[in-house]
Amino acid sequence: MNDRGGLLSGVRLRFIAATIVVLNGFFPAVWILFTSLKSEAELFRKPITYFPHEPTLRNYIAAAVDQPLFQVFMKNSVVVALLATVVSLLVAAFAAYAIARLNLKRRQLILTAIIASSMFPLITLLVPIFETMRALGWLNSYLALVFPYVVLNLPVCTLVLVSFFQSIPRDLENAAMIDGCTRFETLWRVVLPLSAPGVFTAGILAFVNAWDEFLLALSLNSNAAMRTLPVGITLYQGEFTFPWPIISAALIVAIVPVAIVIAIFQERVVGGLTAGGLKG
Amino acid sequence: MAGVEIRQIVKRFGDVEVIHGINLDIRDGEFVVFVGPSGCGKSTLLRMIAGLESTTGGDILIGDTRVNELPPRARDIAMVFQDYALYPHKSVFENMAFGLRLRKTPEADIQARVKEAAAILRIDHLLERKPRQLSGGQRQRVAMGRSIVRNPKCFLFDEPLSNLDAQLRNEMRTEIKKLHARLGKTIIYVTHDQVEAMTLADRIAVLSGGRVMQYATPDEIYHRPAAKFVAGFTGSPAMNFLRGTLAAGAERFDAGTVQIVLPKSLSSAARARVGQAVELGIRPEDIAIAGDLQNYATATVAASVVVLEPLGAETLVTLRIGEQEVVCRTRPDVSAQPGQTVEARLRLDKLHLFDATNGVALRS
Repeated sequence: MNDRGGLLSGVRLRFIAATIVVLNGFFPAVWILFTSLKSEAELFRKPITYFPHEPTLRNYIAAAVDQPLFQVFMKNSVVVALLATVVSLLVAAFAAYAIARLNLKRRQLILTAIIASSMFPLITLLVPIFETMRALGWLNSYLALVFPYVVLNLPVCTLVLVSFFQSIPRDLENAAMIDGCTRFETLWRVVLPLSAPGVFTAGILAFVNAWDEFLLALSLNSNAAMRTLPVGITLYQGEFTFPWPIISAALIVAIVPVAIVIAIFQERVVGGLTAGGLKG
Repeated sequence: MAGVEIRQIVKRFGDVEVIHGINLDIRDGEFVVFVGPSGCGKSTLLRMIAGLESTTGGDILIGDTRVNELPPRARDIAMVFQDYALYPHKSVFENMAFGLRLRKTPEADIQARVKEAAAILRIDHLLERKPRQLSGGQRQRVAMGRSIVRNPKCFLFDEPLSNLDAQLRNEMRTEIKKLHARLGKTIIYVTHDQVEAMTLADRIAVLSGGRVMQYATPDEIYHRPAAKFVAGFTGSPAMNFLRGTLAAGAERFDAGTVQIVLPKSLSSAARARVGQAVELGIRPEDIAIAGDLQNYATATVAASVVVLEPLGAETLVTLRIGEQEVVCRTRPDVSAQPGQTVEARLRLDKLHLFDATNGVALRS
């Protein structure tokens, strides 16, 4: 009984810890959700109403339909984030495979350099990136964002993939090469499918990073038609007004694609993990 | 179909040379086993033949083609790995079909060949399963099936049975032997298990320290070992060795309190070594303590029984001869008791002499 009590208290501790993490993560999102369902009058009413008393979808219509550019922002964000994710994964896969499998002399140094390169605060990179993009004539284009996002995502994607690639038994690749694969085919047909959880993990990281990015998106694409959602939504505020319910509604809409991507990928990640049970 | 020729193969990892100029000639359709303790270079040699490891020097020929620079896929070989190396994300059928698909074989052909191989290996009911749903023995069959369907020039086996339990190992050993008889293809098989080597091989290459100690038929390896290492590696229990010197014009083996008069053939081969340290080798079945070996010329020495190990069909008796111990394989109804003094008879025509310093067999 005492033992069970001890175990239970351990479980309870974990439960409390998990609750704190979840509340901390979800509270802002839930608050935004509630705000998005309130009218402006209710939002500023005192005493504060926590749950919306007269829930309304008017803010959503105002944010997504009445704002002519909202759908453009959404499209821009989707295109930029997807392109950045796909290109990051492709480049990172090659880099990670080389690091994991080839007999590189300075492997540790290369890994350290990759980690070090991701340590620069973005703000220090802003001016060089801006100058580069201007020189290339890429300002106000998808490339202006996709290219830096790929570069920024590469370190973390590469590191995630390296660890997954290293966990694949070498003899599987040997078998593939004897079966008739080139190195590239081995990577494409055997290593990547078996690293699905790693590919999806890296993919989620790359997608969310690109989706959320604000600083570069604000600076490089000043043309309203090329803005991404984070920048577009921020600019909903007028000089003297903060239409919080409308901004909240737009935010909720902006979160949805990310939630969908993660939900889909998560299922694949779990599926991939069980498929990886190969050994012995 | 094709033989494999290995000429002066050298392999270096950095500054460490692990294979020191090996020469082997494997005939078309032959079953050759590379055997040796771990670290002897047998797997490295196999992987060089497969193309998974580069060669530092020398040539490898498959058929009449020099393959040193060819990638594995161009060598027309198939390999079965110790841990099976099945693609976990593909079904048994797709595992077996993978090589054919890469070669753009027509679908009807793929279906026919996979089904035929599956029938031979009795895995035709498992084709839809994933590797993780199979037992170890079934996985090994799939791995063999995957190599059969491609109909390669040469099969390479890298310790394929090491992960299986003893009973399954015996079963699969027979299976592999049948398969070789049926396909008639060249097989190169790596193992550290001398029983597998003896039972499977047409010829065995015994490797040690990156060198071939002997390359011969199992019979010759067993009965005429070229070195003490080879003699000690084959047979279970292993060959007994008695340390001593050669005396009286090499006609006598002198181990202190024990003297054995050597047969003519041995003493003439060892004449140059008079007075030098040698080791006398004799297999457990060539020593008798009961009435066995009556029909052979034997040398008789006094021995005391140390311990008896009955195995059912036979009994192993550890004997003390002078200061040294030997194991004798005898009938299960032997009446010896520990501590008892017996007469041990050593079969003269089965004695082996080895140089005590370099282990080379002394023989005419």
